[in-house]
Amino acid sequence: MTERPWHVLTGLRADSTKFPARAKLDGEGIVILRTKTGLRGVQRSCPHMQGTMMNAELIASDTMVRCPLHVFTFKLSDGKGVNCPGFRLKVYEIKEENGVLFGRSVS
Amino acid sequence: MDPATGSLVLKGAHVIDPEQGIDRVADVHVADGKIQFVGSRKLTANTKVVEVSGHYLSAGWIDIHVHAYGTLGFANPDTVGVYQGVTTFVDAGGPGIGVLDQFMELLSDLETTLYAGAFIRPMGLLGLNFIEGDVRTLGEVPITRWVDFAKQHRGLLRYIKCNAIGDYGPGTLKLTKGLAEILNLPLYMHIGEFQLQNPKHLLAPEAFRIAESGDMITHLYHGNLGQVIDESGKVLPIVRDAERRGVIFDLGFGGYNFSWNVAEKAFAQDLIPHTISSDLQQFNVVRPVKSLANVMSAMIRLGMTLPQVIERVTCNPAHALSLVDRAGSLKPGLPADITIFHVETGDYEISDCYTKVRKAEKQIIPVLTFKNGKRFEADLALAQEENNWFLQIAEDHVPSRARALSERQRSFLSALAARISSINWELSSAERLDIEKALELQEIFHEVRGKQGLPLKDALLSVYASFLDQNFTMQIGLLLLRLERRFALQRLRDVSGQRPMAA
Repeated sequence: MTERPWHVLTGLRADSTKFPARAKLDGEGIVILRTKTGLRGVQRSCPHMQGTMMNAELIASDTMVRCPLHVFTFKLSDGKGVNCPGFRLKVYEIKEENGVLFGRSVS
Repeated sequence: MDPATGSLVLKGAHVIDPEQGIDRVADVHVADGKIQFVGSRKLTANTKVVEVSGHYLSAGWIDIHVHAYGTLGFANPDTVGVYQGVTTFVDAGGPGIGVLDQFMELLSDLETTLYAGAFIRPMGLLGLNFIEGDVRTLGEVPITRWVDFAKQHRGLLRYIKCNAIGDYGPGTLKLTKGLAEILNLPLYMHIGEFQLQNPKHLLAPEAFRIAESGDMITHLYHGNLGQVIDESGKVLPIVRDAERRGVIFDLGFGGYNFSWNVAEKAFAQDLIPHTISSDLQQFNVVRPVKSLANVMSAMIRLGMTLPQVIERVTCNPAHALSLVDRAGSLKPGLPADITIFHVETGDYEISDCYTKVRKAEKQIIPVLTFKNGKRFEADLALAQEENNWFLQIAEDHVPSRARALSERQRSFLSALAARISSINWELSSAERLDIEKALELQEIFHEVRGKQGLPLKDALLSVYASFLDQNFTMQIGLLLLRLERRFALQRLRDVSGQRPMAA
């Protein structure tokens, strides 16, 4: 199995960017959130009604993210809908090397 | 529930009872849980006096569109009932004929009077916008099943609901209309396509054509496809025709169904809902709906007078639902269902379901509710508490309440696990919900509990207690379907093998 590739998140810096921040990862719009355990990326809009995840709320000790429109809530580990079974949010790992940010999709 | 005994006078409030033409400061006398009369009388020594001057007082509010049961319901539906000034509400489509037994068993002991606006689909509403209008999920239900149910549970059903949405043609609407006629109930239709859906042929105009006098159309001011106004903002002739025929228009604010833009244009042309309802559910109670009172405040902001608003949450819904013999007015002899509220003045903001916010100067706040004479302090924050609306499967722990299950309940769970272990199911995506599988799981649930001789309520509660910290009341087949199969089987076995709590 080939390892999922990391992509540079251009225009973002770990030390100077304000989060949440919009980014492009392999052509897809994502939002990067700062959680208690580090940075995490999610797809830019909610799969339910396209609410923007820029205004999403981190809950449950930053292990879940909640869309502001209709409180659809997703796990940041795998993107599974918590109160909306069958819905899934794309989630991305984010890493930093020398101040540059990289991202890749979670499985 | 024990109705309050003894007599009570609510003194000095501004009483608004449009049914009786009352709009003045007056006392309201209550005895044995019923209204005695509105007016002055020498009080006896035993009469308890509640001073409510400076407040408004009306008959208990009626919300003809809430979601108390099922995938959209609340852990404690009374939080959007008596604790928000609402003494009577109707579940708008939560249960269908296949789950009305579950609905009754689980929600029979609320403080707020709950009726069913049953959905045409046997499983009731699924809470999934992709398939709510899908005619293929209606299944095959003999009409006699509905007729028998309505006879056995007279008065529970107040309307039959369907959704005038999706690209499936008018078959569902006509079928539901026919059923409503057979059952002698109003037809209640949702208009407005869900956002992101774009059918070729809109069903909203068909809803206005099919509806007859007394039938109801909800989400009057929605801003999605299938609006009541045309592109220039003019109210459609077909809507006017329906209004003239006596079709009842309901507000149904909801999470997707109220647009300031549409409301203001339609209101300016005197297209006004006959009933004001909230459509409160898990996914809109935090925002934008919050409470029926907030929706009433929105109607004040739109331009309705306070008596017009009160009329639309008391006598109008009582007439629409054929409840005038028990609700909607302060007439002598009616149950003492009373809401005391004030109208605050300040700087407020009221959001619609999109991005529009209007500044408002007035806000309606319920203070006290009486249900059959029993007193409840209003508390709008209760409904907003996360454990009331955030339906989360307890994946990482066994809910503590599972320890209180009886030996028979645990034995049932063991038998259920054994029986469904031969069934495969998977919830791959919301778009591809396997409703046939949900029905199969539900049938198995009934089969096992039948063999075990366990009462329905005990069986339902045993499954809920295994997976949910709070007492949400989802359709049992849907609950099982949404669980990951291996996890579900393991949890049922774990709980059935638990030692019960010491007495």
